[in-house]
Amino acid sequence: MSRRHLPALAGVAVFGLLILGSAGCGVNKIPALDEQVKAAWSQVLNQYQRRADLIPNLVATVKGYAHQELQVLTQVTEARAKATRTQLPPNILSNPQAFREFEKNQAALDTALSRLLAISERYPALKSDQNFLALQSQIEGTENRIAVARRDYIIAVQEYNTELRTIPGRWTAALLYPKLKVRQTFTVARQAERVPQVKF
Amino acid sequence: MRLSRSTTRRIARAVSAALAALSFLAAPVLAAPKFPALTGRVVDQANILSSSTRSLLTEMLARQERATGDQVVVVTLKSLQGYSIEEFGYRLGRYWGIGQKNKNNGVLVIIAPAERKVRIEAGYGLEGTLTDAESRIVIDRDILPAFRRGDFNAGVVAGVGSILTVLGGGTAPQSGLDWSTGRGGNLRDPIFWAGILLFGAEGVLFLMLFFIGLRYHPGRKGYILFRPGRSSRDPLGLAFLASAYSTGAHSTGGGGGLDSGGFSGGGGSFGGGGASGSW
Repeated sequence: MSRRHLPALAGVAVFGLLILGSAGCGVNKIPALDEQVKAAWSQVLNQYQRRADLIPNLVATVKGYAHQELQVLTQVTEARAKATRTQLPPNILSNPQAFREFEKNQAALDTALSRLLAISERYPALKSDQNFLALQSQIEGTENRIAVARRDYIIAVQEYNTELRTIPGRWTAALLYPKLKVRQTFTVARQAERVPQVKF
Repeated sequence: MRLSRSTTRRIARAVSAALAALSFLAAPVLAAPKFPALTGRVVDQANILSSSTRSLLTEMLARQERATGDQVVVVTLKSLQGYSIEEFGYRLGRYWGIGQKNKNNGVLVIIAPAERKVRIEAGYGLEGTLTDAESRIVIDRDILPAFRRGDFNAGVVAGVGSILTVLGGGTAPQSGLDWSTGRGGNLRDPIFWAGILLFGAEGVLFLMLFFIGLRYHPGRKGYILFRPGRSSRDPLGLAFLASAYSTGAHSTGGGGGLDSGGFSGGGGSFGGGGASGSW
């Protein structure tokens, strides 16, 4: 082997070592975790959307039996409109204000919806309506899916944020992914919000 | 908050529910419950199912997996360890990886007798087939009436039968969205009883051969069912049924059957679909 090939060989070796070394410092891990957060977030949005899609039908069904409960019905419709109307900014996951706003709107819809389902207890004819029962179980299932999606999101963000804020991920991110920011997460885990409301 | 649970829950249960909710507050978000080992398609940790029910269910579930690839697992739990059955359910499903990896076609039927809760947990891939509404029907119509009588065996068998009917691609058992509980589920179904009679007859024949002494293949699992001591937990005489199922499975050479050792989850995931009930 001649001497002039040495610099090229050394270059290849250094490059190889860099590749090997980078595996441990988050070069691949950070984008992977970022994708995981994005996927978990889409699932959250997806489930909230699913709930929003069920509501008009539910409101119409309840109205058929309990039209005097106008206030509760209006509240649900308004809360739904507010939760779905606001265009989410693209940077919502790293924008605390926008994230809180989103969370607040969905929580308002939680409350309005639970009130609507609670008053439906007072109408025996409504409670035995097959359409209502089907909708009720779908909403129940969707609420549970929302809880699961939120928990998955919280876990994904926790992992991602930890990587981004600890060494060596912190250095790697600063060097290679300066645009990636710490993500917002839900303030209260949904299971803690789950205290059943019983109305007499 | 669990929005509509409060609407269906009876006042008498409100207090226990509130206590349960308080215990969730105490449980850290990421702490994991202690899950039982996946010892087969039927994991009877709470020990409420008779051995004949277990073998019958195992055979039914094995057949389902052979037919459609859907993995259905029945699990009874000693305790929910302070978790809601909804949370315990999807986490257990993910932990075991029930369902095929890319199809997520697993179903868990979870019974927690201590908390008097039952849940059908549908994997991501089956949420369109076994919808929440259908899971709820199965629970309200097939499972809860039997559980209220204290008959876990009948409730689980009827519930699983209905789930398999839904998964089989047919319509929901008994005319789709039928919320009436009047028919009392599959146990009133003449076809179901015809099946029992048929298999029962086969079982009698089997037993006769057994006593006459034609003990070919004495190592067969089917014989285990006739061990003394087990029969006291078999008031319905379902052992015949199970034996018929097991002989059928062995003669066709199918896997599964009463051998639960080979069963494992395919890596499917769960997203919280399904329905719950309490009795």
